[in-house]
Amino acid sequence: MLLHELALVEGIISYVLDIANKRGGHIVSFKVTIGEFAQFDKSLIKDLLVELVKGTELERANIIIEIERAVARCLYCNSKWGVNELLEPLPNDQKEMIHFLPELLNSFSKCPNCGKSDLEIEKGRSVRVAEVRLNV
Amino acid sequence: MSNTSLDFREGMIKRRLERINKIILITSGKGGVGKSIVAATMAALMAKAGMSVGLLDADIYGPSSAFIFKVRSLPKEDRHGLLPPVSNGVKVMSLDLFTAGKALPVSGKGARQIIKELLALTEWGNLDFLIVDMPPGTGDVLMTLIKILGEKSGSIVVTLPTALSTSVVRRVLDLLLTSKIPVFGVLENMSYIDSSKTRASQSRGKALASEFKVKFLGELPIDYKAAEAADTGDIQSLLKTEFAKALLTSLEKMKLFTVKEKLTETTGF
Repeated sequence: MLLHELALVEGIISYVLDIANKRGGHIVSFKVTIGEFAQFDKSLIKDLLVELVKGTELERANIIIEIERAVARCLYCNSKWGVNELLEPLPNDQKEMIHFLPELLNSFSKCPNCGKSDLEIEKGRSVRVAEVRLNV
Repeated sequence: MSNTSLDFREGMIKRRLERINKIILITSGKGGVGKSIVAATMAALMAKAGMSVGLLDADIYGPSSAFIFKVRSLPKEDRHGLLPPVSNGVKVMSLDLFTAGKALPVSGKGARQIIKELLALTEWGNLDFLIVDMPPGTGDVLMTLIKILGEKSGSIVVTLPTALSTSVVRRVLDLLLTSKIPVFGVLENMSYIDSSKTRASQSRGKALASEFKVKFLGELPIDYKAAEAADTGDIQSLLKTEFAKALLTSLEKMKLFTVKEKLTETTGF
């Protein structure tokens, strides 16, 4: 099992529970998006979420998990790229570093158009809570 | 109701910070004033005195803590997050552990994300002190940490004795104080040459501290032995230098802890 995913999923659940407690509502559903740059396994994240909400107020909530397509923009030439151009050509050890910290893309990858390492992630960075629906 | 862009990492960070007694940001106006060696020596002195200490290298553009502590291994994972490697009793987390010496050119937005991610993922455990080696100036990393850490943290502002350095460090002091981040004091580095006590420049740190009504924590020497120890990652030799001795005296002025007596036995001060 990849362990830091577990810490992130626990963080997600705590955060959604905090929202329910602060706003005094019942969570109907929440949506988690997984950015492609972080390379998380969707089924692993789903399994962890389903397992860890057991016994909490979120047990009956609808959990939606979506993959968010990755887009990074080159701040030098303004071109935009995804994982196929920026991530796939890299060796596995460098991909693993980006898995932990997606901004490390700039340490290992270059813009295919101009060759500069001046990339800014616009979408699909990592895992995030995209939506929480409450029934107040 | 619906919400978007919720950053769950802020909750993770908050829970991790609850287990840290005090966070000390080592800041400066300009680069090259010796923040990293101050941060590393301070962390090592605290660890030697039996305290539980972490060192976060937040200088993402020029990380050096891993080099000084001679740690090269990628942080291990456990179910709580990433475990910082331990060297000389100090838990060290640095981007250098991930980039393998490669440059990390990131925009402000990227810098903010990296700092948040490191704070969210790093499992420090219970710490007496977390020392943060900051990048120079008032950029995105400082602004992010001011927002996240708030009054949980305090800052030591490092300056050189020169007018150039103190003129720039004013901006950092001003920002910290207006942001209600406690300032433990101003520390002047490279004030004199260790053996001869020859002054490198007229001291301006004390006047600067007085101007901002914060403590003057003292003067540190230009100490070639300390520089050599940092170059070779020899922390135990670093702790025996005049530089470390002077820094310990400065730390005692902060009254956060009393370690000198204990360290006299182990470092020969």
